Amino acid sequence: MADRAEAPPAIEVRSLRKTYGRSVALHDVSLTVEPGEIFGFLGPNGAGKTTTVKILVGLARQTGGQAQIFGRAPSHLAARRRIGYLPEHFRFQEWATGYEMLDFHGRLAGMDAAERRERIPQVLEQVGLAGRGGEAIRRYSKGMTQRIGLAQAILHRPDLVLLDEPTSALDPVGRREVRLLVRALADDGVTVFLNSHLLTEVEAVCDRVAIVDRGRLVRAGRLSDLAGAAVQLRLLMDRVDRELLAKLAQHGEVAEVEGTAVTLTVDSVDVAPTVAETLIGSGYRLYGLVPVQPSLEDVFVGLVEGGDG
Amino acid sequence: MNNVRPVLTVARWTLIEAIRRRMVFVAVLLSAAFVALFAAGFVLLYGMAEREMAGVSSGVGTGTGLLAIAVVLTVLGLYAVQFMAALLALFLGVGSLSSDVDSGTLHAVLARPLGRGQYLFGRFAAFAALLAAYCAVMVGALLLVARLVAGYQALSPVRAVALVVLEMLVLLAIGMLGSTRLPTLANGVLMFSLFGVAWLAGIVGFIGGLARNETMINLGIGVSLLFPSDAVWRGASFYVQPASFLAFTGNAGADASIPFAAATPMTGAMLGWAIAYPVACLAVALLAFGRRDL
Repeated sequence: MADRAEAPPAIEVRSLRKTYGRSVALHDVSLTVEPGEIFGFLGPNGAGKTTTVKILVGLARQTGGQAQIFGRAPSHLAARRRIGYLPEHFRFQEWATGYEMLDFHGRLAGMDAAERRERIPQVLEQVGLAGRGGEAIRRYSKGMTQRIGLAQAILHRPDLVLLDEPTSALDPVGRREVRLLVRALADDGVTVFLNSHLLTEVEAVCDRVAIVDRGRLVRAGRLSDLAGAAVQLRLLMDRVDRELLAKLAQHGEVAEVEGTAVTLTVDSVDVAPTVAETLIGSGYRLYGLVPVQPSLEDVFVGLVEGGDG
Repeated sequence: MNNVRPVLTVARWTLIEAIRRRMVFVAVLLSAAFVALFAAGFVLLYGMAEREMAGVSSGVGTGTGLLAIAVVLTVLGLYAVQFMAALLALFLGVGSLSSDVDSGTLHAVLARPLGRGQYLFGRFAAFAALLAAYCAVMVGALLLVARLVAGYQALSPVRAVALVVLEMLVLLAIGMLGSTRLPTLANGVLMFSLFGVAWLAGIVGFIGGLARNETMINLGIGVSLLFPSDAVWRGASFYVQPASFLAFTGNAGADASIPFAAATPMTGAMLGWAIAYPVACLAVALLAFGRRDL
């Protein structure tokens, strides 16, 4: 147990900075991912997500600061032995079959022949490509290519998997499969670093999230912490008038009125029964009262200005 | 051993790629066609010369005349082989790294526990092996044809092949060096231009030799130092010629030599340079590629 306490984080990034000529891709980004976590790295396109991952897998070198994988620099082959990586522009040798490509990657990862023979069909099955390994990658659809890329990333049972937009080419069914795959990896104790601009995807699987915008880390934390303690109540009324809004204002802050639906921001969900009693006691008819957590999207949009910029 | 295994894995993968992309198939097919064409041409032209010579008279001059014709045919044939191999070497070297960088297939590969140097040497080893096999087979086939038809005896087929292979390594290495940073197309334009300039410099140097013009000779040497492909071919061409022919041209002075071939062996200094050149190219390539952000 003492060993585990001293185990280095899966990813540790300190004051990471990357410039390309004059343009700054990353300003002073710091984050830590503990072993076994599913970590979501969120941000609009061009925010610096891919640059960060490329530094973490040794494809690019930082201009300043530190990046470590299990306590070692990514340039260390020993560090890279423990990672699996799906690049953003998942492209593989088109002349090869899926099986051959996986075999090549298995060799590079140091797997022996017996391991490769056993493991390749397993991962093909896991990503939904069972029986398709013999086809040339040239003939794969975009979605299939992304799937074979995922297979390549988890092939050698890495301790840390970095996925850069792993569902960009997948349909909703495929996205769900990837979510299940990520959860299965986490169940096996694998750390997952998920780069994405798809909020629902991150919300559905990640334990913790960091949001980057224009090369800066704007927020990091557990999903529940990110949203803050605030809770909202969504009320469906028979009618909305000034008197109603005045009564609601005693319990919290009216955030939105849409037809006969009112969203009320409150300090705690505990006030819900009191709110209901007040309204019914005043002669209003209440059709629904639901407590809602602000979604990650609300948080995200609030933090990241200008959307796609 | 742990350092060599990834290099071999990459080399093996590169060879499979060459086969799968039909490069090997096309090369074998065209080469077979070329050897057949050379054999037919050699038999035809040499036979014609033989009959003509026999008609004139029999004497010392006939033997030398026939020998000269055999040498010219063989040297030109080998020159063509060397030229095709050079194009192949440039073609392989120019896209050796950049094409996979451009397409993005290298990202997943280089995130593996694989050093950039290991990747680079694996690619180089595979292409070098392909080129060496190609040169050995083609030079061997042409010399064999000449021997069977005209009893042709090259001074040293082994040295000739070794030097032609060295020429290919020079071209492959400089092409790879460009490939570490330049996009494939830009690198291709640059390398083919340099190759053309080196060829021209070889001709300039040859004519300078005939005209005994120091400036032209020095210009030829200068360009050869920058891009020694043509100089190494000239070195190889010496060993391709028969000893008796070299003795004859040696007595007559450089004037009796033929363009595209040398009447004297390569100097030790130029040979040393030609060996150091690809090594230096690879060393610089390693530095350039090792630091590149992908």
